[in-house]
Amino acid sequence: MRAILFLAALSASAQDAIEVLSARCWQCHTSKLAMSGLDLTTREAALKGGSRGASVVPGDTGASLIIQAVERKGKLIMPPAAPLAASEIEVLRRWVETGARWPKETAVKEPSWWAFRKPVRPKSGNKIDDFLQAGLKAAGLQPSPQAGKAALAKRLYYDLHGLPPTAEQVQEFLRDSYENQVEKLLASPRYGEKWGRHWLDLVRYSDTAGFELDSYIADAWRYRDWVIRSFNEDKPYDRFIREQLAGDEVAPEDPVAQTGTGFFCVGPNRDMFPDQADINRVETLTDFVDTTAGVFQGLTFGCARCHDHKYDPIPQRDYYRLQAVFAPAVKVRVPLSRLDSLGWERQENVYEIRLREIGEQIGRIQERCKKEGKAGDEKIRACLNENEAGQLKAVEKELVRMFTNYRAKPFACGVTDVGDYSPNTVIPGKGEEVKAGFPSALGGGDIPEQSFERPTTGPIPLTPTTGRRKALADWIASKENPLTARVMVNRIWQYHFGRGIVATPSDFGTRGRAPSHPELLDWLAVEFMQRGWSVKAMHRLILHSAVYKQAAQPSKPAREKDPENIWLSHFRRRRLDAEELRDAVLAATGRLNLKEGGRAVVPPLSEEELFNLIGKASEQWIVTGDESEHTRRSVYLFQKRTFRLPMLEVFDAPESMLTCSRREVSTTAPQALTFLNGAFVMKQARAFGAELAEKHDAELVQAAWIRVLAREPAAAEAEQARGFLVAQQKELGSRQAAAVELVRALLNSNEFAYVD
Amino acid sequence: MGFGAAAASALLQAETANPLAPKAPHQPARAKSVIFLFMHGGVSHIDTWDPKPELTRLSGQTLPPSFAKGLKTSRIDFTKAIIRGSPWKFAKHGQSGIEVSELFPHMARHVDEMVLVRSCHGDAFDHAPAMYLLSTGSQFPGKPCLGSWAVYGLGSENRNLPAFVVISDGAMKSGPQGYGAGYLPAVYQGTMFRAGQMPILDLGSPQGLSSEAQRRTLDLMQAMNRRHLEARPGDTELEARIASYELAFRMQATAPEAVDLSGETEATKNLYGIGEPQTDDFGRKCLLARRLVERGVRFVQLYSGTHLGDDWDGAHNDLVGSHVKMAGKSDLPIAALLKDLAGRGLLETTLVVWASEFGRTPLAEGAKGRDHHPYAFSLWMAGAGISGGRVLGSTDEFGLRPRENPITAHDVNATVLRMMGLDHTRLTYFYQGRDQRLTDVHGEHEFTEFLLKG
Repeated sequence: MRAILFLAALSASAQDAIEVLSARCWQCHTSKLAMSGLDLTTREAALKGGSRGASVVPGDTGASLIIQAVERKGKLIMPPAAPLAASEIEVLRRWVETGARWPKETAVKEPSWWAFRKPVRPKSGNKIDDFLQAGLKAAGLQPSPQAGKAALAKRLYYDLHGLPPTAEQVQEFLRDSYENQVEKLLASPRYGEKWGRHWLDLVRYSDTAGFELDSYIADAWRYRDWVIRSFNEDKPYDRFIREQLAGDEVAPEDPVAQTGTGFFCVGPNRDMFPDQADINRVETLTDFVDTTAGVFQGLTFGCARCHDHKYDPIPQRDYYRLQAVFAPAVKVRVPLSRLDSLGWERQENVYEIRLREIGEQIGRIQERCKKEGKAGDEKIRACLNENEAGQLKAVEKELVRMFTNYRAKPFACGVTDVGDYSPNTVIPGKGEEVKAGFPSALGGGDIPEQSFERPTTGPIPLTPTTGRRKALADWIASKENPLTARVMVNRIWQYHFGRGIVATPSDFGTRGRAPSHPELLDWLAVEFMQRGWSVKAMHRLILHSAVYKQAAQPSKPAREKDPENIWLSHFRRRRLDAEELRDAVLAATGRLNLKEGGRAVVPPLSEEELFNLIGKASEQWIVTGDESEHTRRSVYLFQKRTFRLPMLEVFDAPESMLTCSRREVSTTAPQALTFLNGAFVMKQARAFGAELAEKHDAELVQAAWIRVLAREPAAAEAEQARGFLVAQQKELGSRQAAAVELVRALLNSNEFAYVD
Repeated sequence: MGFGAAAASALLQAETANPLAPKAPHQPARAKSVIFLFMHGGVSHIDTWDPKPELTRLSGQTLPPSFAKGLKTSRIDFTKAIIRGSPWKFAKHGQSGIEVSELFPHMARHVDEMVLVRSCHGDAFDHAPAMYLLSTGSQFPGKPCLGSWAVYGLGSENRNLPAFVVISDGAMKSGPQGYGAGYLPAVYQGTMFRAGQMPILDLGSPQGLSSEAQRRTLDLMQAMNRRHLEARPGDTELEARIASYELAFRMQATAPEAVDLSGETEATKNLYGIGEPQTDDFGRKCLLARRLVERGVRFVQLYSGTHLGDDWDGAHNDLVGSHVKMAGKSDLPIAALLKDLAGRGLLETTLVVWASEFGRTPLAEGAKGRDHHPYAFSLWMAGAGISGGRVLGSTDEFGLRPRENPITAHDVNATVLRMMGLDHTRLTYFYQGRDQRLTDVHGEHEFTEFLLKG
């Protein structure tokens, strides 16, 4: 009897121990993942141990590495993020002491980390507000009342368009139903310009390659426009992913889909150092892996480049399995329409030959004068005789004829595979060759090699591919992938509320923040997939919730108990971001050019502003000739990787070397100087001031308030402003200058720069 | 509460939320401030701080194959290029007798105040990556630099000037990412001081606007801001923005004062070579660095050289021409800076670092030049209580690689932080899934102990 009891106790202890291993260790230490070579799912494997030696020595807790690690006394500390409870450690100790027996049935269960399990629709609610109540209640907080309609108008316009509403638009908003207004705003092309910008942050978009030569990335803007259009068309997110990762394989006949693969081209590259081609290729692949994993999966893969990830279940092997997906991919020019592009290529060849001829001709015409020691265009022109001058004129005429009707190249940038084969991928330093595949912790297997039927007759397909990126895209853009939908709905939530449900939007691993409202996140993720991956459907859900419409003023208890506003007892007030500030100044002063799309616009900058530009401005900062282009929306401005527009940089526009999932918001004196004294704001203020100066004082003040703040001035404000105008006019000697100062004060105000 | 009191209280609160408020260091600090003299373009170590008579003896020959193996740079082949001896003579200086070449006669007089490190090495052989490596610990741009980390760790001692100032001759090959805040908040970014009376971009009021008119516009704006804030009590961000405009207005007055050298004595100006065509420009920059440190600026990064021709990198085609020119511009002013700082008691609390992103090849490039050499180069440190007149590390007989005590960019950065009272392993910022450090997982040969022991 006693023996039976003893055995029962032993098997109970084994069962308990396996429970602990399963909950706390199997996230990383299974046969599949085997981080640091350690598998803890069978007795045999546990006794054998990993790269550090035996993990479990039956009967000897002192010699068992697993006990040392969980007790966190030595160098090895496990699990890295959350220590085991004392009771859990005791279970393991007793289990090792009594011989580390293993129960018969031990199936490896679902992954234990929440983000790696598939989201299921929770039962506790069917709208957003239901999920927020519990958190508020537990924190002892009340939700705020609904914001005023005028405040909502401003909030919605900035949120969806990144632009302020005009006074008329505010009036319309007050008359119309909220639902209508939401639909109207979602249907406007301004929407894609705002939400496309969020995506461009994520994909480290830039028009140049970075590093000291910072070469242009040809046709990068086609990808930018593709992103904006995709948001405007509400392209299903799964399709959006497929076209970016593998547009060439998903839709080989559709150049628009292939434009999505510009995703890979708009990142940094060092291809301008041809003597380091080997390093450059490695860095390019690293960029592909890190950006893909961060943007679509919310995983920080970078750590696993050099070693098994210290915190997340990503073995180094998995890093290179993902890298192998991209190993055959190369950057190419994507013809946007077969005929157009072929025609252009033919024409381009002609151009090249003619240009070379013209260059040589100019050389011959100038030869005599150059021999006489004349240098520089002006001096040479002065020296030319009548005959030579006539020849030069003919050449110039020829050039003008040649470039009349010159248009943008009908190409986008993208990637495709070099063929249906691939270089081998080997883990550096280990020599182990790996096959292309997906993260093991998410149940990802290897990608089977495709075999291609080569046609025996007819044209050979231009570029057969390996199908690896398509396989990856299908695996990511799948309802079975636990991360894809969650990561994207969390981003959407963050862009609306200023903080994600997971506050680390590109880190859903164990070092990221836990979700504040896990059920809400899962509910949104399931809704997202069920509603055909429609981003606009998610906007509607969120924008029609009570939590979104709350006033932005925290109550006193809310300020004390929840300063981060995690429980969303009120709306989060925010400063406009860099692009919004610039666009709002242009809109308020009536100078915004709403033209859509096209090549990047390079605005003029002063010599002082260009101080930090690498290289000659004549090559690196070629100002767009058409002045009306200079006041276009910021998303269309030239994005140079080594040189951010000073006015945008100072307001926290992101670095574009790596994916940026959340912008910092800083408040600094240089920002004040830029907005107060900088040429850009001053120029717009002057233009608007000149317009205002035509009006009577009362009208002038009224018009300034309506245009800049989209509201009437209060009586006291109007009076103060009129007094200000008198004093400034006296000091500055002109009514117009005084009006400019009034505009400048309004543009610098907190009311202008913040949205409630 | 009256209007003024409300404003004062708002300002006070905003300042407590100020990310630049002074913070306690991890350990007692030796250096309150740092002046980092960054000789941009690549100064030849074997022609300045690291004498190699063997090169002169073997001039015209090729390297023994075992030495050439594994070395790579963009323009020359280490197995084929010929050895070039230094055209400059070296002599012993000071009580310590440290050998310095005749290129730096003025700095040579200060060897007894310096710790000279002859065994620096890296692996980036292009300018931008090597500059990023030295300043940010990574060959890839986008990481925060030493100055940003220092200010992140310690805050600012001056409310009216930026805590981290960058002075340069023009744009650098690294671009602004060489002194950027990377993933740290933008408030820790270096502020570029330009030449002239208005050192900061947009510091001057718009043309034709008196200080009174500017103040009146600000007053109208701040009155609106206070009404706006009254309806939104307790919002520290709004308060901080109100305060930022007041700081900007104060900076409009204080920054021009800080850069205005007219109050300096003739003796001081002469010391720095101001007024002499060759040294005037760099002399002004060095004097400005002293004035900034005097006013509590935490970190000054002063570059010599630009990305367009006028720089140390002219050594590709013309070693002698480029180095004579650049040494002529900077040697006397840097020596003056050391002397002036010492004379004012500022050297005790100021760490001065002289460095370049790499050295130059002991082998010839073309008829008159030397190529980039990241595998061995020299730097020195002085001030902040270090015990000078000593050399750390050495290179092989050709100056190709470190022989003793190899020192990396990480070790240099760890040392500078430690001198400022910051432990490089504890100064972290959470980003991309981990606690990031300036020194990544390196910096184990940090040499503060060596600097301080007499």
